[in-house]
Amino acid sequence: MSRQANRGTESKKMSSELFTLTYGALVTQLCKDYENDEDVNKQLDKMGYNIGVRLIEDFLARSNVGRCHDFLETADVIAKVAFKMYLGITPSITNWSPAGDEFSLILENNPLVDFVELPDNHSSLIYSNLLCGVLRGALEMIRKPRCTADT
Amino acid sequence: MAVCVAVIAKENYPLYIRSIPTENELKFHYMVHTSLDVVDEKISAMGKALVDQRELYLGLLYPTEDYKVYGYVTNSKVKFVMVVDSSNTALRDNEIRSMFRKLHNSYTDVMCNPFYNPGDRIQSRAFDGMVTSMMIQVC
Repeated sequence: MSRQANRGTESKKMSSELFTLTYGALVTQLCKDYENDEDVNKQLDKMGYNIGVRLIEDFLARSNVGRCHDFLETADVIAKVAFKMYLGITPSITNWSPAGDEFSLILENNPLVDFVELPDNHSSLIYSNLLCGVLRGALEMIRKPRCTADT
Repeated sequence: MAVCVAVIAKENYPLYIRSIPTENELKFHYMVHTSLDVVDEKISAMGKALVDQRELYLGLLYPTEDYKVYGYVTNSKVKFVMVVDSSNTALRDNEIRSMFRKLHNSYTDVMCNPFYNPGDRIQSRAFDGMVTSMMIQVC
C-alpha cells in the first residue's frame, strides 16, 4: 500500500520522442544482430513477456481494479485502463470471435511507431511485437494460461 | 509551385532530388549544383549567427530567366534547395518559408525513422508524398 501512497495519480512525464527513438533503436539493433525477421519477432516477444510478468504487479497496485468476471471485462480493462495508463492511448476492441475467446485490439496512434516506416526488406517484421509479449506475460501471471497474442 | 526540390547533405552530396517530369531534368540538377556555391557563400557570410528561424531561410539564391532558386539551411548544415517557376509571380516569400518549414518537418520525421541511416538516400514514402503535394499545388 505504500506504493500507492507514493505514486497515487502522479504520472512521471517523459518525452515520447525519446521513448519512440529508444524502441526504434532496440528493434533496429535486433534486426542487425539476428538478420532474420522471425528471430527478431521471437526476441521481441520474449522481451515483452519479461516486461509483462513484472508490469502486471505494478498495474494491479496502481489501478486497483478488482477481479474480472469474464473475458469481456478483461478486454475492457486492458484497453481502457492498462493501455491508457502506460501508453496514453485507448485502443478499440473489435473482431470478437464467435466463441468469445478471441478479440482484436486496434491501436490508432501507437506511440511506438511514430515516424517509423518499415523498409521493404523487413516485410515480415512485427514491429510492435513487444506489446504482444507484454500482454501475454501479464495475462499469464493472473492465470489465463491459454493466451496468445498476435498482431 | 515548386518544379524541383533537393535535399543536400552536409558533405554536399544529394540525399534527395526530385523534379517535375520534363524533357530536360538534368538542367534542374545543374541548377541545384550551382546553387550550392551561393549557399556556401551565404553561410560563411553569416558567420555564427545562424540560430534564428529567419537565418535558416536563405531566401532567393539567384534568379534566371525562367526560374528562381530558393535556399534553406538547417543547423546541422543540411541544405534544402527549391526551384520555382518565375512565371508564378503570385508566390510570396511567406509561402516559400512555409514550404521550407514543411520540408524541414518532414526531414526530421525521416531522420527519426529508426531504419533510416543518416547519409543514406531518402526513400521515405511519407517524404515523397509531401514533396509531391508541394509540386502539384496550384498557387
